[in-house]
Amino acid sequence: MIEFKAVSKQYPTGQLALYNVNLFIHQGEMTFLTGHSGAGKSTLLKLIAMLESPSTGDVIVNKQNINTIRKSRIPAFRRNIGMIFQDHHLLVDRTVFENIALPLKIEGLRPHDIKRRVRAALDKVGLLHKEKEYPLMLSAGEKQRVGIARAVVNKPAIILADEPTGNLDPELALDIMYTFKQFNDYGSTVLIASHDHALIKDMKKRTIVLRNISNKVKR
Amino acid sequence: MATTYKQTSSPIASRIGHHKEAIAYSLARLWQSPLSTWITLAAIAIALSLPASLHLLLKNLKTLTDDKREVPTISLFIKPGISEQRARDRGELLEELPEIDKVVLVPKDEALADFRKITGFAETLETLDENPLPHVLVVTPHINLIGNPGLDMKKLANKLEGYPEVDLVQMDIEWVQRLRGILHLAERAIMVISILLALTVLLVVGNTIRLNIENRKEEIDVSQLIGATPAYIRRPFLYSGVWYGLFGGILSLVLVHFALLFLVSPVNELAQLYGSTYTISGLGIKITLYILLASSLLGLVGAWLAVGKHLRNTKTY
Repeated sequence: MIEFKAVSKQYPTGQLALYNVNLFIHQGEMTFLTGHSGAGKSTLLKLIAMLESPSTGDVIVNKQNINTIRKSRIPAFRRNIGMIFQDHHLLVDRTVFENIALPLKIEGLRPHDIKRRVRAALDKVGLLHKEKEYPLMLSAGEKQRVGIARAVVNKPAIILADEPTGNLDPELALDIMYTFKQFNDYGSTVLIASHDHALIKDMKKRTIVLRNISNKVKR
Repeated sequence: MATTYKQTSSPIASRIGHHKEAIAYSLARLWQSPLSTWITLAAIAIALSLPASLHLLLKNLKTLTDDKREVPTISLFIKPGISEQRARDRGELLEELPEIDKVVLVPKDEALADFRKITGFAETLETLDENPLPHVLVVTPHINLIGNPGLDMKKLANKLEGYPEVDLVQMDIEWVQRLRGILHLAERAIMVISILLALTVLLVVGNTIRLNIENRKEEIDVSQLIGATPAYIRRPFLYSGVWYGLFGGILSLVLVHFALLFLVSPVNELAQLYGSTYTISGLGIKITLYILLASSLLGLVGAWLAVGKHLRNTKTY
């Protein structure tokens, strides 16, 4: 599903974020990505979502080499990936419902279908009763779950999460992880970047470690 | 596989849905900050009302010169002692010249009667024992030849003066030609002013949209992150631009019509003093639609430039 072949990424500032990364993630797999901060976890996720492009090497997502995807096809490509950010990126001037409806509106669904799908996503993250509230009225854990609902509402094949439990207490964090596991059970390929080793251990899933010095990937 | 039961509406339906959403959203946005919207609309309206009112002024001046009574003619005064019949024959011959549309003979008796009617000279005229007026041939040149540099009016006048029956040639054409020349120049000037003010509208809309984009940067970024196409991002801003142009245009028409109402009665009074039934004419349907179309288009282009610049600067595309 996701394959990295000798991928390096150097930012224009000269900072080497990834060096010679090779990895393979199967379809329907749930995988953790860990490493010290600055090891390039976020960069790796950004490469998969085409938010950045590799300096050298090939990234293959869903049998497509992202180096060959035309610029005009990037939005469509990105719609097949649900991305969750640590700072959740919710729009504060829109209700929970409207935030989650955004990907569906972009896809051009009918209002009737949008309503149904948003409700279903909210139900899965346990926030059905909060659909009319604004993000600022929500707790950190709730905001994160709204972010998850938005990422999964259009049923993407791949779900990427960048430190989704970064600001949460352990109990909430575990809750969020089980939410991801639920989506994995439904068939989505899930890749979660996290440095919470205890939590990762609890989940008993394959873990990829990005090393700081040589950025070697351990299977 | 999670994607297999993805249900999307047909491309056309989703496109219509996108437009509906963008229209509703952009209209709602417009009235979220009413003050700045009104200021923008007023700026556009003022910029548009100036060329519109100048156009109106020019149009009214033109109708003045196009007036039926004012069709430019050449008057040929026939020498005294020439009979009416001979004058009529000469007129018929003249009518066959290619430059001439028609010739009307005004016999001296008829001219005298007219003269009595329209002036207060009736009593004075009674004292004359003989009609002092000559026969007159009123020659109308082909109207399309006026202002045509190929047609030498002087030459025509000389030719007409050469006929033995003709005493004097009086051209009514020159002032019309001069006025038309001035109006032609004014038309050009208005065109230049219009272009400059159109650019102003473009800048006003472009700048307003640029500020809107700044205010909604986060929304744009998030939308791009979750796979919005540039067209999707652009659409509500383009509609905003059209609304600014359209509503600004409507406001400018309201301004022009108010100004017109202000002028109608003094113009009528003035016209009455000159014994004319001239009334000021307003903007026609065609020019009204033209102004609205042009202003909407300017709004669209202004918005397009602003959004295009922003999208080029974001690296995700």
